[in-house]
Amino acid sequence: MKVPGFEYAEPESISECCKLLEEQGVNARAIAGGTNLMMTLKNRLKVPKMLVDLFCLPELNQIRYSEEEGLNVGALVSLRHLAANAVVRGKYPILARAALDVGSPQIQAMGTIGGNLCQDTCCLYYNRPPMWRQGLEPCHKLGGDVCHAIPGSKTCWATYCGDLAPVLLVLRARIGVADSKGEKVIPLSELYSGDGKAPLTLQPGQVVKEVQVPGPSAHSGGAYLKLRVRKTVDYPLLGVAVTLALEGAHGILKDVKVALTGVEKAPLLIEAADELKGEKDTDKVIERLAEAAYKQAHPINNTYGLTPKYRRDMVRVYVRSAVHRSMEAAIKKGGVA
Amino acid sequence: MKKTITLHVNGDVYELSVEPNETLLDVLREELALTGTKKGCDSGACGACTVIVDGEPILSCMTLAVRCQYKEITTIEGLAQDGVLHPLQKSAIERGAVQCGFCTPGWLLSAKILLENNPAPTREEVRTAIAGNICRCTGYKRIEEAILAAAGQNTE
Repeated sequence: MKVPGFEYAEPESISECCKLLEEQGVNARAIAGGTNLMMTLKNRLKVPKMLVDLFCLPELNQIRYSEEEGLNVGALVSLRHLAANAVVRGKYPILARAALDVGSPQIQAMGTIGGNLCQDTCCLYYNRPPMWRQGLEPCHKLGGDVCHAIPGSKTCWATYCGDLAPVLLVLRARIGVADSKGEKVIPLSELYSGDGKAPLTLQPGQVVKEVQVPGPSAHSGGAYLKLRVRKTVDYPLLGVAVTLALEGAHGILKDVKVALTGVEKAPLLIEAADELKGEKDTDKVIERLAEAAYKQAHPINNTYGLTPKYRRDMVRVYVRSAVHRSMEAAIKKGGVA
Repeated sequence: MKKTITLHVNGDVYELSVEPNETLLDVLREELALTGTKKGCDSGACGACTVIVDGEPILSCMTLAVRCQYKEITTIEGLAQDGVLHPLQKSAIERGAVQCGFCTPGWLLSAKILLENNPAPTREEVRTAIAGNICRCTGYKRIEEAILAAAGQNTE
């Protein structure tokens, strides 16, 4: 499969990069690890006239940590380096875990944290070679006005399948977004539009520059569980990330966050979690979270393997298990006597 | 528009004129005639095209050659040194870890990276390291054993 021709741009600074992307608008795409974009190009899902190489900006390939500021990961840090970093492994083990759950070792070596967060939504009817798509009318994501996954739908239902987003959401990450005028820091949740057709809120000329994660709180634990057919290569058919913190020696829930991936057009933060602060009854916490997550998740029939019903049923199972494991991890760290 | 790039492949330096849309895989196979690197799925899912770039195992089908300027690239042709097979290659032959041979160059390079970073891996670590190299003959057991044996580990 040949990649369609394009002009290759090597910016010397982030401002030059943003300016180029802004000037070119939809005609240009930024390329980081390329694991997502290369297939988009090979399948001719997008045919940009210009690719702007972010790897020309090595300043975005650094990991910093301080007690006050927490973790700061440049957008171009590869998933492999992220998972191997001693601070990440020690203080943010679920982030390292999720990075090692992405694709395969080769994809982890190529893919970047910024690229993973900006991963496009997937659909069985969209991520296909041109010849396969010839037999179908163009769908919403291809500029048409039909949906093959949910016939009759007026909108696109392509599913968000990134592994890092749910984990970084429960870790309360913020992202630095650069554009030609400067940069701003926004909560990660604001990166996602909830639109399957255009899943990111980034405007032409805006680039994710870094990911900021606050320091882990005391007596906290977390887990990331990924459902897929094979233990490797596959996107998540469901991913559940949990972090929680316990209060002192009594096991009272100080804070809990749950997020899902692979079951909606954007990564989902489970809303009920905030109401459970101060709750002592562990079983109640687990059941309330499992029910809330089940209600919010809408897996549909647009992925390889496992039916939507099975995936939705597994939301309860995976949330229960991930909360359990998070509690165990928090207790191990001295949260409960 | 073509661009001139310099690639360091298996210790040799090549100056090449490439189109920006050419993959590293196509350049290695078509321009440099290094056909040991295989084109399997050509979509990043099978690992047959794995090569080592600056110490990282990467998929050459998903890499634009133009982005490999001055990078140190190792392909399967660079594994044997001065006509002497790499211990992993010897082990693969001794253990019968090669069936149709199409995935072999890829997993050998994945295993090379593993043993460089972890000279005494467990079976589970071996499995994780080659998880991106799909063998459609499904001969994984012999592959695992060959890697463990090359690392001097118990293969039972």
